[in-house]
Amino acid sequence: MSVSNNIIRKRKNMWSLRVKSTVIVSVSLSILVGMLISSFFITPDKLVVDLQLRNIAPSLEHLFGTDWMGRDMLARTLKGLSLSFGVGLLSVIISSFIALLLSLLTLTNKAVDVCVTWLIDLFLSVPHIVLLILIAFTLGGGFKGVVIGLAVTHWPSLTRLLRAEVLQINSAEYVAISQKLGKTKAWVAAHHVLPHLLPQLLIGSILLFPHAILHEAAITFLGFGLSPETPAIGIILSEAMRYLSTGMWWLALFPGLALLVMVGIFDILGRQLQKWIDPFSGDHL
Amino acid sequence: MKKTLFLLLILSVSASLLASCSDTEKPSNKSNTATKEKDALTLAIGGEPDEGFDPTTGWGHYGSPLFQSTLVTFDKDFNVQNDLATAYDVSEDGKIWTVHIRDDVKFSDGEPLTAKDVHFTFETAKNSGSVVDLTNLEKVEEVDENTITFTLKQPNSTFLYSLATMGIVPEHAYDDSYRTHPIGSGPFELVQWNKGQQLIVQANPLYYGEEPYFKKLTFLFLSEDAAFAAAKSQQADIVYVTPSFAKQEIPNMTLVQLDSVDNRGIILPYVPSGEQTAEGDPIGNDVTADKAIRKALNIAVNRQNLVDGVIEGFGTKAFTVADHLPWWNSETVIEDGNLEEAKEVLDAAGWKLNEDGIQEKDGIKAALTLYYPADDQIRQSLSLAFADAMKPLGIDITTKGENWNELVHVMYSNPVMMGWGSNSPLEMFNIYSSTTMGQDFYNTNYYSNPTVDDYMEKAMNSQDPEEANEYWKKAQWDGSTGFSAKGDTPWVWLLNMKHLYFVRDDLEIGPQKIQPHGHGWPMTDYISQWHWKE
Repeated sequence: MSVSNNIIRKRKNMWSLRVKSTVIVSVSLSILVGMLISSFFITPDKLVVDLQLRNIAPSLEHLFGTDWMGRDMLARTLKGLSLSFGVGLLSVIISSFIALLLSLLTLTNKAVDVCVTWLIDLFLSVPHIVLLILIAFTLGGGFKGVVIGLAVTHWPSLTRLLRAEVLQINSAEYVAISQKLGKTKAWVAAHHVLPHLLPQLLIGSILLFPHAILHEAAITFLGFGLSPETPAIGIILSEAMRYLSTGMWWLALFPGLALLVMVGIFDILGRQLQKWIDPFSGDHL
Repeated sequence: MKKTLFLLLILSVSASLLASCSDTEKPSNKSNTATKEKDALTLAIGGEPDEGFDPTTGWGHYGSPLFQSTLVTFDKDFNVQNDLATAYDVSEDGKIWTVHIRDDVKFSDGEPLTAKDVHFTFETAKNSGSVVDLTNLEKVEEVDENTITFTLKQPNSTFLYSLATMGIVPEHAYDDSYRTHPIGSGPFELVQWNKGQQLIVQANPLYYGEEPYFKKLTFLFLSEDAAFAAAKSQQADIVYVTPSFAKQEIPNMTLVQLDSVDNRGIILPYVPSGEQTAEGDPIGNDVTADKAIRKALNIAVNRQNLVDGVIEGFGTKAFTVADHLPWWNSETVIEDGNLEEAKEVLDAAGWKLNEDGIQEKDGIKAALTLYYPADDQIRQSLSLAFADAMKPLGIDITTKGENWNELVHVMYSNPVMMGWGSNSPLEMFNIYSSTTMGQDFYNTNYYSNPTVDDYMEKAMNSQDPEEANEYWKKAQWDGSTGFSAKGDTPWVWLLNMKHLYFVRDDLEIGPQKIQPHGHGWPMTDYISQWHWKE
């Protein structure tokens, strides 16, 4: 009796966990998709300068208010978010690819493994933002500079994670058997290691998103990134700084909050996904 | 989790402790400003010179050199006044200028100022290869202790402006460190310069002119909002502000608006594309090479909208580079904001709207990239507003912010949001003369018109300032041609920005002349006459 009760309670808990995370994921996904889709409806004519409508505080007509040139801040914020998403997506894909490639390379021999570890340490020893500024600046800034800068600075932590996984898989018995049977290292990598790496890779890259987006905002905020008329969140925030002391709080508040929400959503998504795909690590959270 | 909470707690407690510390400090600060010496002023007017205070490399060329004095000066109506000079005369052919200087002038280190120092100053400036342009000066000779002659290669009436802007440096105390330790014969001497922070000066006891009322000046170099905050907390007596701050109220301070020729305008490439500069940068633009396009842009833009919208009304419409100066031709004012007329101009020149709503002629689309310096908010706003305002005309303008390192490569072949404005007509020559094509930032659009060149030549050669001004006016518009918007239209001038300062209510700074480009120092021209209201 007590045993079955226990089981039932456990089942209930399991259910509620699953339901909870499904609800969380679907809510955050729909917010994210809503943000992205709505930005497609923002045509260039919504972003135009209208000098008659300057400095309007948030109202029903302009939910986020307007800036000093009469541009609607809601439209700019959404456009900025989708831009951040685009930059984030592109650089995360490149980053993850680099991470995957490097971690598989560690299979070849000890020397390569040492090299990769050394590279990881090298990149992690310099603060991200410094490296980012250097790279984006030498590439002449702009979209290209930011994406490349983000891509080549965000792979190390993921690579370290994947490398550990690779080491573990590589010491498994079935891998040893495969090697004994004369399979090449490439075959082992493709058939044994890669499938086991995919869940980690997926979760890792989603968790990279918030970093990438925040760093994109940071670097454009500092003025090393995109051209100043682009509606990027970092640029919007740095411009808003000048108007804070004149009391135009809405210029910074809403775009900042929106960025925070987007980053938060990616964080939640990554963690929920981790619970689903990798239930054991989910237990430790 | 608990650890982070604890950390947060510690942080917030220490932050509030710190805040309370500064709170207790504040009153003492305030009493400082209240009890501070009556003859001291604190100014946050920006404009820290990166190059230091050496007149031979450009210090003081906009506004007064403060530490040094010049041979002649201009009063606020641009009449010549003697300063170091007691008299000057120009030879018949306009080539030899003889200047007599005072014999009682001492540098702030006690050494007398003689013709030797004047000679040395102009020689050094001529050879400095800096922004100081003295290429027309052939030689300088001392006649005696107090007389000096300048021999010019070409007669040039604007040489007077060189005399009025060149602060005289002491030959005996001039070395590599001079720019950070200036010694001169001006009303003030340097006490301390903390680069990037502040400059402290005190009255020069050996100054020969009127003794300044204020004995100690502190110039703070603050960012825009820090300066505004300094004004609000009564820590500065004069503060430069941008238009976005100017509408705010600050107790005990009044907003002073100084008229200026600190203008903003768009330079339009005048020649078709194809050529290259010596450095390999492209020259010319096929769209703006068409006079109809340039005219249409000039007619279509509503300058008053830009003045009201971008700089909150703190400015005036601009039609030339030298509005309201003695050499300005008032006939250059045109009717603007007229889209219909602009369309007619384009129509007559053969431009037709294509299916995208963009003007097209002979397969060339009226599409332009307007560049602006990325760190300049006002130029950015102006560019965006201008680009949007030209859409209904069918001219498609994309805006792009770049730093100056990039701009110098694209400025010969693209429209750029520029700013000029000088108290000397020489600037017109530099911008519009065919002899200055592609030199530094002069005439980057490769404008040339023989008639205009001829008028400007005559103006330069003229002995009489009045006559010279007549020629300058004709160069702008003589009834049939000129470099203004009525003539060849190589620029779209948009607006003149008023220079805005919050000034303490009880401080009297008197009338000012029309301020040139670059804020801050020009307003110190008459600083000797500033005083507290009784």
